[in-house]
Amino acid sequence: MNALLAVLLILAAISALGVVFSSQTLYSALSLVLTVGLLAAVFLVLNAQFLFVVQLIVYAGAVMVLFVFIIALLDPAAEDRPRLLDLRLILGVLAVATLCTAVFVAARDDVTYDTSCTTQAVTCMHGYSVGSLAETGVATADPFHSFGFPENAVDRAGNVQTLANQLFHTYVLPFEITSLLLLVAAVGAVYLTRRVAAGPRRDPQAEERWRDDLVEGPD
Amino acid sequence: MLSQSMFPWILLTAAFLFTLGALGVLIRRNPLVVFMCIELMLNAVNLALVGYSSYLNSEEGQVFAFMVIVVAAAEVVVGLGLLTRVFSIGRELDVDDLDEMKQ
Repeated sequence: MNALLAVLLILAAISALGVVFSSQTLYSALSLVLTVGLLAAVFLVLNAQFLFVVQLIVYAGAVMVLFVFIIALLDPAAEDRPRLLDLRLILGVLAVATLCTAVFVAARDDVTYDTSCTTQAVTCMHGYSVGSLAETGVATADPFHSFGFPENAVDRAGNVQTLANQLFHTYVLPFEITSLLLLVAAVGAVYLTRRVAAGPRRDPQAEERWRDDLVEGPD
Repeated sequence: MLSQSMFPWILLTAAFLFTLGALGVLIRRNPLVVFMCIELMLNAVNLALVGYSSYLNSEEGQVFAFMVIVVAAAEVVVGLGLLTRVFSIGRELDVDDLDEMKQ
């Protein structure tokens, strides 16, 4: 399983390179399809079956079809090779290298990679609230009732049932807000892509004749 | 349950994908590719969320990854609508050319 995960991660990284450095837009889109599919497989290995299906349907199915459709509609042959030794490229590589180093250092120093002391990591993350709880003497028996990570919670009831329980009980308000977000996005897309000249099609020659008539009077 | 040895590699890959997406946003000029790089960054965040979810044995990371997917879908819909609008009024698709908001 570890070897499979490693191979999937390496392939995803390689195909992500193709997204950024492809010369043609369509190749970038196809590389992104490959990356998204590989990440879906990674989700499956990580025991996130529901997200695997959602990733395939929403990303590889809907979003990428939309991307390829728009590329074919707008400029299928557009070449956009990033120029080498551009000032912007150098600045971008420097900024990204700094960010990447910062992320690596933070991930190495601040995260405890020991699964046996998950509770200690939670204590470190939420030390303040735990301390205040201990001072007031409330809930000292189970200070992590809202952050309790029970053994094999993800595996317990089947992933879809567990996730649905979270989604429709604990996070029902954010879930409803996302539906509102989707509604706003749909209305915005319809507004943006509406026909510019609404109503009956205008005839410029007829308008000119009409304007001439207004100036000179009807014959 | 994610094995202990693989978790740093998942975080490393997520950081790599995110920074690669950031690099693409910075250096590419086609707004379609810029959008794809933003998708790449969101996918990297999803990978980190699911990795933590598996590592900490908590399903909350997967819930948030689901929210991120919804936000990404909405963003793509609005963004591609904007791009077709820009194209239909006859502008070239180039983020350096579309800088009226700067002035």
